[in-house]
Amino acid sequence: MGVLAVPRPSRLARNWGQQFVVLGLVGPALTFTLAILIPALALLLVNSAYHVQGTRIVKIVTFEAYRHFFTDRFYGGVILQEIRLAVVSTIICLLIGYPTAYAITKIRRPTWVIAAYILIFSPLLTSSVVRAYGWLIILARGGIVNWMLTRLHLVDVPIRLIYNFTGVVIGLVHFLLPFTVFPMLSVLLRMDPAVKEAAADLGATRLRTFLHVTWPLSFPGLYAAAQLTFVLAMNAFVTPTLLGGGRVLVLPVLIYNNISDLQWPLAAVEAIALIGLTWSTVFTSNLLVSKALRASQGAPA
Amino acid sequence: MGAPDGLVEGPSLIAVALRHVSKEFGKVQAVRDVSLQIKQNEFFSLLGPSGCGKTTILRMLGGFERPTRGEVYLSGRLVNDVPPYRRDTNLIFQHLALFPHLDVFDNIAFGLRMKRLSPSVVRQKVLKALELVDLAGFESRQITQLSGGQKQRVAIARALVNEPAVLLLDEPLGSLDLRLRMQMQEELKEIQQRVGTTFIYVTHDQTEALTMSDRIAVMQDGVVEQVGSGREVYETPRTRFVATFLGDSNLFEGRVVAADRDAAIVEIHGARVRALAQPGAQPGASVFVSVRPEHVRVAGKAEVDGDVENWWEARVRAVTFKGAFTEYRLVTPTEQVVLAHVPPRNGTIPVAGDQVMVGWRTAECVVLTE
Repeated sequence: MGVLAVPRPSRLARNWGQQFVVLGLVGPALTFTLAILIPALALLLVNSAYHVQGTRIVKIVTFEAYRHFFTDRFYGGVILQEIRLAVVSTIICLLIGYPTAYAITKIRRPTWVIAAYILIFSPLLTSSVVRAYGWLIILARGGIVNWMLTRLHLVDVPIRLIYNFTGVVIGLVHFLLPFTVFPMLSVLLRMDPAVKEAAADLGATRLRTFLHVTWPLSFPGLYAAAQLTFVLAMNAFVTPTLLGGGRVLVLPVLIYNNISDLQWPLAAVEAIALIGLTWSTVFTSNLLVSKALRASQGAPA
Repeated sequence: MGAPDGLVEGPSLIAVALRHVSKEFGKVQAVRDVSLQIKQNEFFSLLGPSGCGKTTILRMLGGFERPTRGEVYLSGRLVNDVPPYRRDTNLIFQHLALFPHLDVFDNIAFGLRMKRLSPSVVRQKVLKALELVDLAGFESRQITQLSGGQKQRVAIARALVNEPAVLLLDEPLGSLDLRLRMQMQEELKEIQQRVGTTFIYVTHDQTEALTMSDRIAVMQDGVVEQVGSGREVYETPRTRFVATFLGDSNLFEGRVVAADRDAAIVEIHGARVRALAQPGAQPGASVFVSVRPEHVRVAGKAEVDGDVENWWEARVRAVTFKGAFTEYRLVTPTEQVVLAHVPPRNGTIPVAGDQVMVGWRTAECVVLTE
């Protein structure tokens, strides 16, 4: 996640000794990334250009997979679906996650804080496959959610909550919420409580303190959370596969299918499209936000 | 014990009053039965070591803590249950708590905007406040672009621009270096006199309190030990704690053998001392006698001055040159250690091992019954 909005160190390591230590510390991660990611990406690029004959890859450069991907309108629909899924899940995660993170910072008793953390992070402690099947049972026609909805007369007949967009969103929100809450929580916890007291001291009610102080100061956390959630939603595979039941098609699902069908060049092109899509959204949002921040803070003297 | 000396006459002039105020945090007693009255336009300091309850009192005045018992009055109004945003007080926080996302202008304008004043009034007041703290032209600076002293001034302006009835200051100069701190002390005092607002200043630094305050409340363990002008608390400390917390002090343990209206005679391990009378210093009472080192005279046996009532024999143990004065550490035949700060003078200067006389006047030594 090197492209995400991380707080920048104020200054680089000042002398050679320090730089050496820094290099030593990031070395393993850097080597790992460079030695595996770069060759893998290269392999991806190479494979994407080859020609497929039946189920056999012929090592001739034709760029046929690219032509297919960019001319077939089917893929445009998949990409739109994928972006819509990621945007909707991210917005719901933020709407649920921000109040949750805010509430956690208000808990006084340490035991309750720990309990809240465990609760928030519990989705990460179970396998995504198990989680998805769990949701299938809960959201099924005869599942507990539909049973309750009909018993409360909110609906007449059970509604469809799985094998569609709604089901995937529910599963994704559950899976992504910890990643939304955590960056916001860390920013909210770092906020100096005296700043809020200062606002109250200067005549701001609780609501106005929130609007004029807490909210603007928590914006960097909100932004980091949104970005992380969005990227993870774009790349989710298990949840759309199981809760979508083959009806909610997104790029990771297509990649998997094409690899099974030995359509490697097409899978490679889809993978490249996914990477490109993710990186470009992160990059443009970074640009927009830093521009907005600069504008709001005025030009440095 | 804080009650009688915390009271002043004339209720209309009272900006702040505490009546038997206690504050407990769980099992910790932060403030114990404190009563105080602070006059309008007064520069009042709460002085004491960390954990003595001075900041808790300030936060109760600001509305950030509610007293467990007792009443807090601001301008004659009971404010125990009034939240900070409805009080006519402003607090300058220990670490300033400026808004990092706002520039200097918006920081100072915050309180005015909360009162929904018109933009032109806000602008006019903010610019005036910036002038007051000598920061004209800084309005569009970011907080991160300011030095420590400039941040300090922004915090002062942000509070004063609201024209509060009472300005509360929680050790705001603590993070500055000594030079800047002394400069800001002078400026604060000057600003206070110019705006004529009641300042309540919390500090653990006795010099700071003495420099700026009209009156000082010396606190320890949640209790106000003494209230008075800087001169009063320094020259006539009421308790042993006050005597030692404000500057150096020689403390001798003894017993009152005689007392009249003006003076008490105290016997200290066989040696007698004539000291200022105190209400509690009745014959037989065991007491401490406090003498400031700068009041102790060091003289040769032939130089003993008849105007000075108390003279003890002593031997010089150590001499340390301290610049503005010379510090003598002396010991009497009865094993009492005496510290003396003697200004530079001509003539023979005693050295370690010399037999000398140490002396002080009755008016310079105080009997402490607590």
